[in-house]
Amino acid sequence: MPRTDAKTYRSRVKKPDDFDRFWDDVLRQAAEIPLAPEIVPEPLRTSDDIETFQVFYTSLDHVRVAAWYCRPRRRAERTPAIMLLPGYQMDPPIPKEWARKGYIALSVAPRGKLRSLRQFNPGYPNLLTHNIVDRHTYAYRGFYVDTWRGIDFLLSRPEVEPTRIGVTGSSQGGGLTVTTAAMRHEVRAAAAGAPYLCGYADAIELTHTYPYEEINDYLRLHPESREKVETTVAYFDGTNFADRIRCPIVVNIGLQDNVCPPETGYELFARIGASDKQLYPYDGHGHDAGRIKHSAVVDRFFAQHLRGER
Amino acid sequence: MSAPGDRTDGAFADYWRQALDELACYPACPEIDPLPSRATEFATLYNVRLTSLGPYRLFGYLSVPRGRGPFPAIYYAPKYQSVLEIIPQGTANLQRSRYITFSLAARGQRNADMPYAAMFPGLLTDGIAGSASYVFRGIVADAVRGLEFLLMWPELDPARVVVMGNDMALAAAALARGATHVVTTPALFHRTAELAGKTQAYPLEEINDYLRTYPERAVAVRDTLAYYELGAFASRVTAATLVMAGAAGTLLDARALEPLVAALRGPATVYESEQSSYKDGLYAERWIAAQCGVTDVETILPEHWRP
Repeated sequence: MPRTDAKTYRSRVKKPDDFDRFWDDVLRQAAEIPLAPEIVPEPLRTSDDIETFQVFYTSLDHVRVAAWYCRPRRRAERTPAIMLLPGYQMDPPIPKEWARKGYIALSVAPRGKLRSLRQFNPGYPNLLTHNIVDRHTYAYRGFYVDTWRGIDFLLSRPEVEPTRIGVTGSSQGGGLTVTTAAMRHEVRAAAAGAPYLCGYADAIELTHTYPYEEINDYLRLHPESREKVETTVAYFDGTNFADRIRCPIVVNIGLQDNVCPPETGYELFARIGASDKQLYPYDGHGHDAGRIKHSAVVDRFFAQHLRGER
Repeated sequence: MSAPGDRTDGAFADYWRQALDELACYPACPEIDPLPSRATEFATLYNVRLTSLGPYRLFGYLSVPRGRGPFPAIYYAPKYQSVLEIIPQGTANLQRSRYITFSLAARGQRNADMPYAAMFPGLLTDGIAGSASYVFRGIVADAVRGLEFLLMWPELDPARVVVMGNDMALAAAALARGATHVVTTPALFHRTAELAGKTQAYPLEEINDYLRTYPERAVAVRDTLAYYELGAFASRVTAATLVMAGAAGTLLDARALEPLVAALRGPATVYESEQSSYKDGLYAERWIAAQCGVTDVETILPEHWRP
């Protein structure tokens, strides 16, 4: 049954007054660290049509981040690129599917993910609440920067067309798509599915499923920390990044989403600053957010904005 | 060599009898420690460590409802991913108020990744050129060991034990006693060699990657995979089984799974995906509740699934 009230839900999310200053400072710290990109051929995953590489680069706190990088063998000298961002507990996939569609594709494994966990590994469950009482050391501070640095990696590649970079992902990948589109003006198109990390304060009241339930577990054990937790997550809430988005963006949500409540998706969408934005709510769908049907929408969207197809 | 995937083939039985005999040589030696951060007013959570074939030390999360049992149980068999969940993502935490739940990390998954850390992709072909060296021989044993452990829990109702997951759920129910119900979503081991050639999607693409790199090992790979054929496991499953098939027209739809379903020895129900995690998940939750006599399932569904 659709929740007809999801659209009119009143969010508790408020943007901190020093939100921009906080992130400008983080970006300043990150900018002082050389990217040091490394690209290593992966013959086992390379085929006649797709070349696959392991990629490594350095991010905030000097954490070395891994990624998969695929490119079509037959491509233009400068080819549009898509960065794929992972869900909370999924292992970052090898993005051959995007390369087969003609894009150069980067699939990032932010810190703590498999292949990026030597220096940082709070585990799952735990990532969501790791240092959640301190915005300066909260897990997602570095995690977000890891994804934004993926754009720097793409810009460092001579085969990437720098004016045609897109970002996409679902669930946590949807939330990271929002934050990346907000913080990196080089992103020309973004497609976010079932966005997680948007509406933290609302989600922990609207649903009691993991991963958000990690925060309720934490507050049950540390009720005295509620104010600090709420303060921290406000700096990391995708909803508070949304007004910075200027590129075309599509968002899909499931009206029966049992992980990321649809109420948070509506609120996020309302706050997106881009004039070219479109919301696709799928009734009868949960956290899949209508993915199968919606994939054609996303394909058309990127073809239009990154390849100039009409 | 004859095809050991045939349910009547003695090679299949011998292969798994030997693995189970080896497993039996290693007592589980469980360590069970409360995890207060995940305890609620309705359930207690424990970290569990136990030994499997190898010997290899595994990890699991055991949740037990507060109050007096006996309780029905759901065993979440190891999945094909690095992360171990307490209960599957998106499941209402209140499920833990009605069922004992036990989720197990097989060798290679997080918390069971020392000394062996699995790669995803990568695990599916690790050691696949030899049936004795294939990593899934140990993983199937791990899944069996997990079920054995769960069945020893005192508050468990042995008449209501659900094994849920992908391929490892069916394998565990086939090789260990005690499963009364199975919910399986085949993903890896139904006619693997044949179906891999029809897709470019992971995880089956791992097989294609491997055979492209090592074409001379194709026969050995097929021989190994025959020991993991789900149809052969199915012929040993007497529990009531819900088979979660892919949507019509997909690689593992109900039609493709007909041989597997026909091989099951207990009552079988086939559900074909509606490509909605809500509709599919709701069906499975209600099926389990009905089988276990949980009459108020609507109250323990995720908030956005409730009528």
